[in-house]
Amino acid sequence: MASAWCWSCLSRLRPTPQAVLPPSSAIPRGTSAFHSSAIQYAPPLKKKSNSMTQLKYRQGQTLRRKKKKTVEKARPPAPGERKAMRKRIVLSNPNALEVEGMQEISAENIVDARLRGSVLGLPVPMLDQLRAVQAFKPKQGWSIFRRPGAVVRRDTVEMGRLFEKISGEGDAPEKGKVVKKVVTGMKGSGKTVHLLQAMSMAFLKKWVVVTVPEARELVSGDTAYVPVEGSKPTQYIQPGATSALLMRTVEANREVLSSLKVSQKHEIAGLKPASSLEDLAKLGFQDPAVAWPVFKALWTELTATAAAPGMEKDFQPRPPMLVAVDGLAHWMQNSAYRDLDFNLIHAHDLIFVKHFLSLLRNGQAELKNGGMLLYATSTSNSPGVYALEVGLDQMAARQAGTSPTSPEYPSAEAYSNADPRVLDLFKPIEGKEPQMELQNLGGLTRDETRGYLEYFARSGLLREPINEQWVGEKWSMSGGGIIGELEKLGRHVRSAAIPTPTA
Amino acid sequence: MQIIIRRNFVAGGFLPRIADKRPLNRVAIDQSTVYPVKMVFILGVNFPERNLLKASNTYTHIGEPQHDPKSLESFFGIGNHTSSRLLARFNIHPTCRVGELANKQVLDMTAVLSDMKIENDLRREVLNDIKRLKETGTYRGRRHALGLPVRGQRTRTQIKTPVKLNRMERRL
Repeated sequence: MASAWCWSCLSRLRPTPQAVLPPSSAIPRGTSAFHSSAIQYAPPLKKKSNSMTQLKYRQGQTLRRKKKKTVEKARPPAPGERKAMRKRIVLSNPNALEVEGMQEISAENIVDARLRGSVLGLPVPMLDQLRAVQAFKPKQGWSIFRRPGAVVRRDTVEMGRLFEKISGEGDAPEKGKVVKKVVTGMKGSGKTVHLLQAMSMAFLKKWVVVTVPEARELVSGDTAYVPVEGSKPTQYIQPGATSALLMRTVEANREVLSSLKVSQKHEIAGLKPASSLEDLAKLGFQDPAVAWPVFKALWTELTATAAAPGMEKDFQPRPPMLVAVDGLAHWMQNSAYRDLDFNLIHAHDLIFVKHFLSLLRNGQAELKNGGMLLYATSTSNSPGVYALEVGLDQMAARQAGTSPTSPEYPSAEAYSNADPRVLDLFKPIEGKEPQMELQNLGGLTRDETRGYLEYFARSGLLREPINEQWVGEKWSMSGGGIIGELEKLGRHVRSAAIPTPTA
Repeated sequence: MQIIIRRNFVAGGFLPRIADKRPLNRVAIDQSTVYPVKMVFILGVNFPERNLLKASNTYTHIGEPQHDPKSLESFFGIGNHTSSRLLARFNIHPTCRVGELANKQVLDMTAVLSDMKIENDLRREVLNDIKRLKETGTYRGRRHALGLPVRGQRTRTQIKTPVKLNRMERRL
């Protein structure tokens, strides 16, 4: 009961006139409505229903939150759909403008130094071949232009000259040579596109193209592996991967392979005497169990210089070969496969990998008809392999003229536990065999940058006045013409119109 | 305890099996059933061909229902450690599907699995061990019976699992 005394002024309160009072149901008579309030008129306390504070026996004292309701999701995509989207390659964009006067790459213009800085289109019939060897990668920017093309840079012209020399007519001195290159460079410097340009040139010159587009796939433990009996240390065949390699090779080189006939003796069931190399390779991808013997047979055929006795009838000289591997570092460490004792298998013990790596050491002896080996490192998907770094440094030092005996020659640090098998691979080669070269892709020159950015402008992507100063700015911003960075700058579409100067 | 008797085709005998809550990827063998997908027998259990023997880490999606169940690890007593070693022993890659196995590999695998102490043998052993602890009146046995943690954990919080599992009639 509230007191009738006002505690603030200690005066006795007079009864309030009836008219001023609120309805009697709310406040009973005889009490003040404003000086102080009565507890008994307060609404009754609600019973605490919140279980957050009321603990039951043996219940946790940690903060308990209500579980979020699971939101109904749309049906997930069908199996394989996500991967298909991820791996999708779009080579054309109908919204982009067609670049007038754009030249196509051809057997004649690959050595033309005047074309430096211009973007050469890839001929449409060749696109299927390039797709077959998986030359295009999903994250490259092919889909922003009307048609696929690649910029001609200094390295491209040099490579074109090499192709010209190796497949030279008559008694050219360089004919039948093998060029072995390890392609490196920083992220976005165009290593994979360099391989693509090499493949396109090889197709133009009617070479046989053999590629390993993702070196990682062979060591990531995603394809079957079978030990070779009697091998020591145990080596492993990868039937599925070999079968896929044969498929790629046949799909891309059908024209060349179907024109060549089998000229050696092979112990492969189902092989007819006068069948073409295409038929030979097909045996392998129909039955993965014989894929590796078939690949070896195909390799012997392609590297043959003369027919076996008694089979000279249809023998034609074999073309040079281009071997391109992308993501070399994955082959320089243990694979994800396990041997019988549950030890990791080194990548060099996989016969497939070993075959391609041994070409770096004895490519000239292997590829008797000449050719080119391009083994590119990757910076976007690459395990850090210390021994490989040392090996590449050593190659660079040798190329710069440092003697392997001099103190400046790089070597693996003590206790770094560098993989000796990898270091051995990059040692200098003795004998007649040519050394492997290190090709470091840098940035474009300013002139090439200008040509490249003009291509963006002519495709309708870039709305900027392209002048010397602007190009210089972009060249600097891209770290000295790193082509991947230039692409980012070029494709950045400005939606706002260029402000016109006011009069 | 409910026990389903399934015919063990590989061993040619009867194998009592405790019904568990994971019959989705393991189908009881019944002659009258028509299966929509091809099946492969491993140790008397029928696995759909598309099942992975053992997925690598890249294939498991955390928080999503697993579309590719790991067939080997569905046996009681075979986990990551054992299944990896089994695969290495037969030169099978981790992302291999059940359907990709050669007949010989399936038979070898079954032979090895049937020599291992897994499934009901292992269940029985574990239950016997707990029973022995209870019967000899040890502290651990008592904790098992009381539904409390056995290995010295605190009981103030976080003992949902022992409350759920440890009881007089322990099940596995």
